[in-house]
Amino acid sequence: MSRRTFLKLCSLAGLGFAAPVDVTSLLYAKERNDSAGYGGPYYIVFNASGGWDTTYMMDPKGIEGINRLYKDEEIVTIGKHRIAPIKKHIEKGMSNEDFFAKYGPELRVLNGMDLSVNNHSPCARYMATGKLDSLAYPTFPALVAACHGSAAPLAFLTFGNYSATGNLVPMSRVPYLQSLNLLAKADSVEGNERAPYHDPFVSDRIERALEQQFESRVGEARLPRVERSQSMLYSAQVNSKALQRVVPFIPKEVAKERLAQQADIALASFKAGVCVSANLSIGQFDSHNNNDPDQMKLIPEFLAGIDYVMRKSEDLQIREKLIVIVQSEMGRTPTYNTGNGKDHWSINSIMFLGMGITGDLVIGATDEKQQAVPINPQSLALDKENGIRARPEHIHLALREFAGIQDHPFSKQFPLEVPAKEKLQSFWN
Amino acid sequence: MSPECSLMFPRRLGCHVRHVPHLMTTVVLMIVASWSGVVSGETPPPPAVCSLEDRFFEDEVWAKVGERTCLRCHHSRGDAAESGFLLTRRTSENPAWLQDNCKTFQKMAMTLEGDKSKLLLKVTGGLDHGGGQVLKPDSTGYRILERYVRRLSPAKDVSIPAETIAQYNVRPFFEGVIMTSPRRLLRRVTLSLAARLPTASELTAVDQRGQEAMDSILDGILQEQAFYDRLKEGFNDIFLTIGIEDNAETLLSYDHFEKTRLWYDKHDLSHVPEAERQRARWKLADVYRDALLREPLELITHIVRNNRPFSELVTADYIMVSPYTARGYGIFDEIKDQFKDPENPFEYIPARLKALKGRDGKTQESATGMYPHAGFLSTFHYLRRYPSTETNRNRLRARMLYQHFLGIDIMQLAPRVTDAAAVAAKYEIPTMQAADCVVCHKTIDPVAGLFQDYNFEGGVGPRKAGWYTDMFKAGFEGESMPAEERWRAPQWLAQRVVKDPRFPVAMVEHVYYILFGRKVLQLPDDIDDPMFNARRRGYVAQRQLIEQVASRFTKENFNLKVAFKALINSEFYRVDGLAVANADSHRRAELDDVGLTRLLSPEQMERKLNAIFGKRWGRLDDSMKVLYGGIDSITVTERNADPSGAMGAIQRLLANDVACYHVARDFRRDAAERLLFPRIEQTDLPGDDAANLKIKQAIVDLHQRLLGHERAVDHPEIERTFQLFTGVLADVKAQGRFEPRETYFCGGREEFRTEDPHYSVRAWRGVVTYLLRQHEFLYE
Repeated sequence: MSRRTFLKLCSLAGLGFAAPVDVTSLLYAKERNDSAGYGGPYYIVFNASGGWDTTYMMDPKGIEGINRLYKDEEIVTIGKHRIAPIKKHIEKGMSNEDFFAKYGPELRVLNGMDLSVNNHSPCARYMATGKLDSLAYPTFPALVAACHGSAAPLAFLTFGNYSATGNLVPMSRVPYLQSLNLLAKADSVEGNERAPYHDPFVSDRIERALEQQFESRVGEARLPRVERSQSMLYSAQVNSKALQRVVPFIPKEVAKERLAQQADIALASFKAGVCVSANLSIGQFDSHNNNDPDQMKLIPEFLAGIDYVMRKSEDLQIREKLIVIVQSEMGRTPTYNTGNGKDHWSINSIMFLGMGITGDLVIGATDEKQQAVPINPQSLALDKENGIRARPEHIHLALREFAGIQDHPFSKQFPLEVPAKEKLQSFWN
Repeated sequence: MSPECSLMFPRRLGCHVRHVPHLMTTVVLMIVASWSGVVSGETPPPPAVCSLEDRFFEDEVWAKVGERTCLRCHHSRGDAAESGFLLTRRTSENPAWLQDNCKTFQKMAMTLEGDKSKLLLKVTGGLDHGGGQVLKPDSTGYRILERYVRRLSPAKDVSIPAETIAQYNVRPFFEGVIMTSPRRLLRRVTLSLAARLPTASELTAVDQRGQEAMDSILDGILQEQAFYDRLKEGFNDIFLTIGIEDNAETLLSYDHFEKTRLWYDKHDLSHVPEAERQRARWKLADVYRDALLREPLELITHIVRNNRPFSELVTADYIMVSPYTARGYGIFDEIKDQFKDPENPFEYIPARLKALKGRDGKTQESATGMYPHAGFLSTFHYLRRYPSTETNRNRLRARMLYQHFLGIDIMQLAPRVTDAAAVAAKYEIPTMQAADCVVCHKTIDPVAGLFQDYNFEGGVGPRKAGWYTDMFKAGFEGESMPAEERWRAPQWLAQRVVKDPRFPVAMVEHVYYILFGRKVLQLPDDIDDPMFNARRRGYVAQRQLIEQVASRFTKENFNLKVAFKALINSEFYRVDGLAVANADSHRRAELDDVGLTRLLSPEQMERKLNAIFGKRWGRLDDSMKVLYGGIDSITVTERNADPSGAMGAIQRLLANDVACYHVARDFRRDAAERLLFPRIEQTDLPGDDAANLKIKQAIVDLHQRLLGHERAVDHPEIERTFQLFTGVLADVKAQGRFEPRETYFCGGREEFRTEDPHYSVRAWRGVVTYLLRQHEFLYE
């Protein structure tokens, strides 16, 4: 069945109008099975789950007892970035100093983002979707995967963090690298390509029979839920064959670090053209007790994970197509509690780098009390008097525009409530 | 501000929007035609009769403003309980609830303050409205009220747009929806709950008595062990209590079970050869840990199996222990005679613990000398699964109590303040002082206080410095816990929880989740959505079912089987399809969630394969479980509802592999013992009509067994399958030469070899592969 025929059938059945899934692009991968698949850009969201301490990263303070490991005068400046000096406090991983020295010229940072909530679940939802008060909204990586390539077999990969899809695209969890090998060779006994289950002509017959059956059902009276699930099932099976393309890019050895393990799966999938976006996540940032030792262990691990992705993507020659978002669901308080920990704080930061993003830039700020400083949405300059408080919906609108999906029907299905005058102009310029 | 100060809880937990009841009703509403504005302070005329011609009040005013916005506070237990504008939730005790609300709205709308309706002034924050501005003047909600006020004046615009009238021309909810046949319903239920296909006697019963027979059949199914296994699996999806990261024996605190929790270390294994002893001890420990983890779920099966009130989920004054776990608690010797088999690690019986004695010699405070068991609320497993911290202060436990036992997700719809950080900085104790925090913390913190005698990890251990004084005192829903009840606080809480009308609703929602594989619908969010009313109607229809079943469940003494049976017998569960295609977008939106249509979980798929083929595949149990959308109860806690490409690959692998294993084997059996091919031999090939008919009958058998379809030989799907079979044979014939035996892997491997001179075994294998990849097989 050609794509045109398929679209026609969907149209006749009213699928394209009523079904929330991207049934109109079901045959995307089928058409591309013999091609290189999805060609980018590839989106990676790094998530420091639990709430990172921004003052030990891109928004240093060194005053008012906000931090105990450095003083104001020790804050390091690299280009336009001011960063917390942590090199002497970490045992392994990557320090801010090294990370910003290497990536600072590419990094765009927003400080002083206001969530106005400070519990894990709503914050994680808000940061991931740009919408606080709905469980229905898709995360940005899910949305962009749905818009750009929902039929890619692993369009949206997730390894944790809030991962709602808005029913636009299935989420894929691939916990082990070697699983990819097996899945890629699902038509061979134990992955041995010399031992196919069926002779090729039998496989062809089976596929044709399934295709004919799918075609015949388009005109049948079906409940919306049945229509959707039949479409998603058919597309999942057909598109899964594209997983064969992953095999050459699967590393022979499994990485030891948490983020590197996830990254290897995501990068191989990107390179193979079977994946649009991935959520990478490590946890334990929720440092209510002993904030400093915990953050000094986790931040370097986190930064090293990002560095790993950048280096590996360079090896795979897809770095120039990578768009990286670095975030956490919340910040941590400007004061220490009695357990030497820091609690939840609704003022946060976020970082971007990658394809099309101009770096060496810091937007927004927090004041000496770690309170958000409003910004002018047009100039992005600090404007305490007349500025706005940058919130996740502002960032997500900017992200949608950056990805070129702001007018996609899926995006319109999940509108962000940002008044025109509050839209962040030139956020990416 | 406390770090857990929510600032995002609904303004009142008791009026969570999801539980705002309402219903498309037959109550007739008529807006009275006479308008007489009433000046503030004057008594308005007697309430106008609300009866009907259009549905403006219910579908616009009530659906889009009243129940979503006003009802949050304006009800008898809400923050605005003292106001003169009290609304009512739908209740079976008061069939006129909507009419009453209509009158209340009408009275407020017709009362003037100056020349403006009091209703419009209040919602925009005027007249010192306690809730401040709840609608902006340019919002859809405000415009609806504006129009409502205008419509009360005959002199002004009272016309109803044509499209609105058409939209309201609703028909019976299930009109045009086909219900499944009793036979298919039976198969659906036996596979879902009993992990098997229907028996011959069950099929006979439904053939003879139709749907009526289901009641007694269900009674039988709900006593089968497989049902209890399913029950445990389903409730673990909800409570996740097997998701303990540490070794399970750490559930039993070092302080209280120091000498017993590691009993396996000293257990006599002298009967095991010394060389194998260490391995045996490790295995013993593993089994013990498994047995410990199962305890809370065994409580559920005990309650249901014995038709005990499901309220014991939180009120049970006992726990379930096995011979192995009883040793961990140090009570084995006391109760060993009660076990049928004291060596069976998974035989569970109810038991009570004495008040716990710590290593310092102090015994837990108890008026009875016993541990204050309160079902899940006092189990170490539940409290460990939802731990606390110095700053969380048991609020997670309070949140889970509301979510699990009252159906309220307090983190779901999170209202925010303008600047949370500023609020935190402004107040010394925001959770008790800042209005935005207090509205929720005054409800959540008292419940958190009820767990004050449990430590962060779930063991008994009051905080050394005493419970926090910068929190609202322990209690529940406005009632303080008396000091003398503190030693049994979980029991005190449980008694109140089970009396709360939200408890039975929450339990029925759990059963719905187990049966349907998804949560109940939420009230639609977007009142600007053109499909809002249609979606709301779908929600309301489902809500009505849940509430009806909850009411029956309550009357039947909280017998959970009643809820299972009622939901299974409901139209929602029995839906099978549409009579005719319906392209009307409103109707499609109404029916959007209707129909079981659920992707089978890895566990369900394995059970189905076992039921149909007599053998599990085995690969979805472990290595592919999470990959196929399953959960590990710790980090992955929600199942995939839709198949990804990775899952599509697993489906292909499964279909290939299962067909590979079973087809040749089935042909080797005597015909009478075959599961797949009872009426065909591998020597039966296409040919004349009789030969073809025989093959089609074999295909009918396969459709019936694998897909549950009773299809005639001339059904198009039978014909399609026939064409696949004959097409494969035609292809191979055209090819000329082929191996005359089945492949090594699918032909028996070392076990046996399968000659296949006609290629028919491989063609049938292709057919089975094809059927296993179908929606009807992979979905419930």
